[in-house]
Amino acid sequence: MVLDEADTGPGVAVLLPGAARLSGDDQDEVFHTGVILATLDNTAGWCIRDHPDYVEGTSMATLDLRVDFVTPASLRETLRVRAVCEGFDGDIAFVRATAETLNTKVLIATGQATFMLGTPSGPNPATPANPVGGSLE
Amino acid sequence: MNKPVQAGGSLPSLALAQQQLIKMPYAAFLGVSLRVGPDGLETSTRSRADLIGNTNLPALHGGVIGSLLDITGMLTLVFLKALDQSPRLIDMDIDYLRSGQAQPTHGRAEIVRGGRRMANLRAVLWQDDPERPIAIGRLQFLLPKTEATRGGLEVSR
Repeated sequence: MVLDEADTGPGVAVLLPGAARLSGDDQDEVFHTGVILATLDNTAGWCIRDHPDYVEGTSMATLDLRVDFVTPASLRETLRVRAVCEGFDGDIAFVRATAETLNTKVLIATGQATFMLGTPSGPNPATPANPVGGSLE
Repeated sequence: MNKPVQAGGSLPSLALAQQQLIKMPYAAFLGVSLRVGPDGLETSTRSRADLIGNTNLPALHGGVIGSLLDITGMLTLVFLKALDQSPRLIDMDIDYLRSGQAQPTHGRAEIVRGGRRMANLRAVLWQDDPERPIAIGRLQFLLPKTEATRGGLEVSR
């Protein structure tokens, strides 16, 4: 996945070209739903880093993510994933994201995620009792 | 967890779940493997540097965690209902509970409700301790069409 440098917003947009290893079904040749989800999650993280109030270097963790898979996407397409940060207060950020086909503009998936900011940014202590976490971008 | 409750009158099929796994190149890319334990079907994925999202911690990428919940749910559905075609994931909801460490990740799922057209599943991922899940997911799948459901035909029983 690459940042869509030509994009003018809102939020950030990322391009994901189809590739054989991203297939969810080797007969239908569609993007695996997990690939779409992973790209939505990653783009959501990037759009928080792009927020004007974001302090450079602050780490974050995804608290939750919901994705609706509207239409299966052919691997012959390139997906454009856009994420917009809709709320940000330094501790928590709320993001909405969509995936559509680049050329035909078909809606592929929509997502909604919540992130916690300022999570531990070094290796976890040896004790496994670490109540805070999630997936860090 | 995913007790072989009979839904649809078929026996659980590891062979069909394996076949479904082979059909998904992305699952192969993640390195997912399957086994049937005392609690039913279990997925396992080894730790690998390119599945890490945060290299400082290090922590498993959130997208990888979500994908493993997706794959675990789908394969459990194929296993329990002995499906010979792919169910389609309609939506899913993930709660990230703990950061995923750079170590093997295991997954299990159960059918909360299995209908003729839709199935609702709950999936869980853990690493060293099943009692300390790293993520849980709610998944809704559209089942492959059968004679009874083709063309939106509702058959009342």
